[in-house]
Amino acid sequence: MRGMSTVLITVSPEASRQMRPPRALWPRDFRVGNALGRPFMRDLQRRVLLDALALLTAPPRPGEIVERAYPDYAAEPATPA
Amino acid sequence: MTQLSRRCVPFTPFEGELGGATVALVTAGGVHRRDQPPFNIADELGDLSFRAIAGDVDAADLMVTHHHYDHVDADRDVNVQFPLERLRELAAEHVIGSVAGEHVGFMGYTMQLRRMYEETAPAIADYLDQHARPDVVVLTGG
Repeated sequence: MRGMSTVLITVSPEASRQMRPPRALWPRDFRVGNALGRPFMRDLQRRVLLDALALLTAPPRPGEIVERAYPDYAAEPATPA
Repeated sequence: MTQLSRRCVPFTPFEGELGGATVALVTAGGVHRRDQPPFNIADELGDLSFRAIAGDVDAADLMVTHHHYDHVDADRDVNVQFPLERLRELAAEHVIGSVAGEHVGFMGYTMQLRRMYEETAPAIADYLDQHARPDVVVLTGG
């Protein structure tokens, strides 16, 4: 098998920390079920995904969980397009 | 759990550039195609199986079966747990190389953590390696 690099997006950092993931992003204050943010907030979902992917090329911090704030998450949920 | 946490971090370096990388999604959020068997939420031990999801699936054909988190938002927009449409946009913009041909959904709730760690997780890795050969896997929880 060829190696596959992984990155985790977690909303349960305490549980995830116990598993010591090789790379992990914690979007702070996101609730369980909203790993990428709220429905139809495409820009927010995109930024979370890009921030997770950016950990692949960042200096390695295996086992650490990188915390990041997304203030617009708390804003009014977007309505369906 | 304590025993698992004593293991070394299984770190696979990322070599190359994101712009050339094939990216797959694996979610513990219970995502599967509507025409696939749902996860068994009646068994209190959990469900150790996984569902393969083709990269060209219509997001509207995906659904969630998971009884240990509130998935009402994922029911409306599956991208909150399984960002396949966002990944396609990044591929179209050449931010990533390509969307993998296969992705995976499983139900992360289990009372059989060791079997999930020692059987399900390697089976998912083997499946992706054989069918999609991604460079990168983005994982989301349930």
